[in-house]
Amino acid sequence: MKFLTLLLSAMIILNFSAFAQNEKFISGLVLEVDGGTPLPGANIYWEAEPQKGVVSDIDGNFLIEVSTLPAKLIISYVGFTPSIRIMTVRDLEKPLKFYLKPEELSLQEIIIRDTNPEQHVLGTEMGKSVVSMETIKNIPALFGEVDLLRSLQLLPGVQTAGEGTTGLFVRGGSADQNLIQLDGAPVYNPSHFFGFFSVFNPDALSGVEFYKGNIPAELGGRVSSVVDVSLREGNYQNIRGEGGIGTISSRLTLDGPIVADKSSFIISGRRTYADLFLRLSNNANIRNNQLYFYDLSGKATFKLSEKDKLSVSSYYGSDFLGIANQFGLGWNNFVSSLNWSRNISSTSFFDLNVYNSRYNYQVIFDDEGSGFNWNNTLSETGARMEWSWLLANNSVIKAGYHTQFYHFSPINLIPGPDSNFESINTNPRNGLQNNLFLSGTTDIGKRVKVEAGLRYALYQEVGSGVIYQYAGGIPLPDSEIIDTLNLNRLQSAKVFHRFEPRFSMRYLLRDDLSVKAAFNRNHQFVQVATNSSAGLPIDRWVPAGTYIDPLRGDQYSLGIFKNFGLDKWEVSAETYYKDFRNVVDLRQGASVLFTDNVETELLTGVGYAYGMEFLVRKNFGKTTGWLSYTYSRTWRKIEGISGNDWYNPRFDRPHDVTLVFNHEFSKRWMAGLTFVYTTGQAVTFPVGTYEIDTQTLPLYGEQRNADRFPDYHRMDASVTWKGNDKGRKWRGSWNFSIYNLYGRKNPFTFQFTDIINEQINFDQGSGEEITSRRPGVVMTYLFTFLPALTYNFKF
Amino acid sequence: MRNIWFIIIGLLFGSCQEEIFLELRTVDPTPAIEAIWTNNGNLNQVKIMYSKDYYDQDLNQIIEDAEVSITNLRTGQEIGFRFSQQARRYLPLNNFGGRIGERYQLNVKIGENEYISEGTLLPPPILDSVKYEFKEKRFFREEGYYLTVYGKIPFEEENNYRIRIIQNDTLKNSRFDYLLFDDSFGTSILDKGFELSGFPFAANDRVRLELYRLNTDAFNYLRQLVDLLFNDGGLFSPPPQNPKSNIRVKSGKGEVLGYFLVSPYLSEVVEIIPDE
Repeated sequence: MKFLTLLLSAMIILNFSAFAQNEKFISGLVLEVDGGTPLPGANIYWEAEPQKGVVSDIDGNFLIEVSTLPAKLIISYVGFTPSIRIMTVRDLEKPLKFYLKPEELSLQEIIIRDTNPEQHVLGTEMGKSVVSMETIKNIPALFGEVDLLRSLQLLPGVQTAGEGTTGLFVRGGSADQNLIQLDGAPVYNPSHFFGFFSVFNPDALSGVEFYKGNIPAELGGRVSSVVDVSLREGNYQNIRGEGGIGTISSRLTLDGPIVADKSSFIISGRRTYADLFLRLSNNANIRNNQLYFYDLSGKATFKLSEKDKLSVSSYYGSDFLGIANQFGLGWNNFVSSLNWSRNISSTSFFDLNVYNSRYNYQVIFDDEGSGFNWNNTLSETGARMEWSWLLANNSVIKAGYHTQFYHFSPINLIPGPDSNFESINTNPRNGLQNNLFLSGTTDIGKRVKVEAGLRYALYQEVGSGVIYQYAGGIPLPDSEIIDTLNLNRLQSAKVFHRFEPRFSMRYLLRDDLSVKAAFNRNHQFVQVATNSSAGLPIDRWVPAGTYIDPLRGDQYSLGIFKNFGLDKWEVSAETYYKDFRNVVDLRQGASVLFTDNVETELLTGVGYAYGMEFLVRKNFGKTTGWLSYTYSRTWRKIEGISGNDWYNPRFDRPHDVTLVFNHEFSKRWMAGLTFVYTTGQAVTFPVGTYEIDTQTLPLYGEQRNADRFPDYHRMDASVTWKGNDKGRKWRGSWNFSIYNLYGRKNPFTFQFTDIINEQINFDQGSGEEITSRRPGVVMTYLFTFLPALTYNFKF
Repeated sequence: MRNIWFIIIGLLFGSCQEEIFLELRTVDPTPAIEAIWTNNGNLNQVKIMYSKDYYDQDLNQIIEDAEVSITNLRTGQEIGFRFSQQARRYLPLNNFGGRIGERYQLNVKIGENEYISEGTLLPPPILDSVKYEFKEKRFFREEGYYLTVYGKIPFEEENNYRIRIIQNDTLKNSRFDYLLFDDSFGTSILDKGFELSGFPFAANDRVRLELYRLNTDAFNYLRQLVDLLFNDGGLFSPPPQNPKSNIRVKSGKGEVLGYFLVSPYLSEVVEIIPDE
């Protein structure tokens, strides 16, 4: 810690003193020629000194140091024709704009890459991917529904919980250890349809930055990854639209100027059809069912001045399952954020992000004796401000403050008018978290680049709420409650101070070859109390407090990175080791949904994970894609589970191979192919049977997840045909995809059940005579050879 | 929730099933004890067997030579059990029954291993009456006669109940037939009438209801047993585990399965006579 503090101080002092030596800079803004949309992540470098390149920021701005003038400055962005301009002394004084034109031929190329090809080798980033929406849209998709989170599952180090689900298990972490945020606001349940689809409408997004290794100090709150999703900014020139008609849903997006060149909007919506078809059924039991999701997102951006930009974003997504007008389960996310960016000067910037994220679910059961209405809400409200300074030696200093207020509403269950149940109303739980962060990046000589940061979190358990005092001071299911402490609004109880050092460095072996190392510590103050692998809409989040310590994750990583073939190809090998403290699991038979004493149902322990990830990727040309292999293991040790011994969580899947392949045959024909292979999930199979209470019960060994599902593999393919739209306003394309091309029967579940009369689903109420009975195993599998057709359009 | 999830799968995507063979690990046979001790001597029994391999099609081996007794911990009275070849279980000598309010200890000796458990025979709740009413079919309910149980739960603690249903002399014993409830939703559940909503009956059915009040450890065992019966080992299920036994190994080695149920016994018989 001391070392890191000293290093940060030294970097700041050195950089400010260097900056004072009258260095010369050129500043500019990179824009898309069609619409004037800023291009973040563009690569700007001097032709004579390509290693001294910089990258445009989120608003397209950049600042590059000048050695000698005149000189050729190159501005490049994948998918766009590079701009080359000769810069002279006169250009030093004025801000410049560079308009890049899209390359016709490369629009549909697979581009999944770090910020830019050179950054892969030159930057200090480890375990970071910037995924373009073009990439995501080209990956063959389940039901043809392009899905951001499912696309991230194809990256090395990311595992899935099972067939079709969108939960991310990153480098040995569980699904609740990922901070998934939209324009800076966290999304607590990022899934539709019980996890089959993610909440993000691809047409409304500009891209995603995915951090699984070195998470920069300005981000925090989860121990395994950050999925930083940005809503697209509307263009400033013309009204444009795009959309698609798919197998499951249709979508429409409109964007354009509010005031030309000054402000823009984008609004996007998506809805499923399933319930519309259900209404056509002659069967009342089917007709009266409802099943749908929809989402709406919008963003308005205002260029307040040359130096100020303000954007307001909002997302609302809702799911509902209704059965026979008697049962209903619905959930929704409502996420809003305001972002203000100010260029204080050509070398200093300020960003403000204010957000609110609200997640709500409701379960309704209409019944005379046992009807109820059960709902719950959780929310996070926060503000984050960040100052950045660009200094000499390609140095950047960032400092900021982030405040977060977590509110977990009481569980609220109201019985129906004739119900025998009594109402349930637990107490709220709240947390107030204040974070300070400081980070710096600088070159030390020609070969070494260092990034160091420190994040400090002050977390307080605050009222209103109740803290129970248990006999013996330890919350156990049968502990007597000896006292209760009522907290007034914002009254502080348990306080945690946590420091999170972040450090990474790059050593350049050659211009196209580097080694990098990083250390990262993160704390997480809210966790999901569950022991199932896939998330459910009614999962209960629990904040840190008197009896629950925050989760801690330390990650050490080391990697080697190389580009070749004029940066067309990237190769990397990364290895990591992660250490987890205060991982939460549930006691056997725990019941967490309605209890006000959730701490009595929890167990905590430790864990570790390690792995190696290999990646070969082709960024440009008619054929693009990547091939990756990951070997990884993850373990947990929690007292009270698995005989108090180490065990693998379900998502421990040692071998993981992914191939993503895309080829452009012509301007109108393209094809995509993906192949995934992973070791089967770690599960627990019975080792015998016995009888209790007239039931034949499976007997399990003491070790959890000592068995394996069969290996999982699957190939998906897609073909895209674009209409001859040269010169036309309406441009359409058809996408035909097949999920699980060769019909692999990947198990979803195994049921250990009696096979009666040699039938796997024998109905014992049918009256049929039972002639034979034997123990058996029935496998359920989903999605074999699933074709889908989608029509996409732009105008 | 899992069932709802499967409804979605069924409605939207369809799914396929087939029988397969999995190589499963095996372990040495483990004793499983099921001991029932109530204030009704006719129900009291102890069943002991060994577990078997999953694919083994033989019946579980019944242990016939164990030493079984139950002791009243206040008086020290020990009630011996004898193995009945006919019933294939141990029955108390002289059909002994327990007494409300007393605490009992189960002792089982199998070879060199001794197993022990304890439980209190708690006072029963008040069971006033059982009524029935014909109800039309709804999506979550079959057409038929439905029973409503009236009574009172006067206790503030140890509110763990089970209702067993015997329809025309046949115990309803599928995994859907477990009626277990505690005071999570209050103790007034019997005051307004507790409808057994999952159990439609036909005219002229003879239904016997049995109400048990369990010690918390035995209740938790049964709850975990039911969870296990519904656990498909899938993504939405917790990792399967053996229900946590309230019987422990006093001496010897290895594990023990099963549970010791100590409970008062209340029953009510209803004959469903249709309206003319």
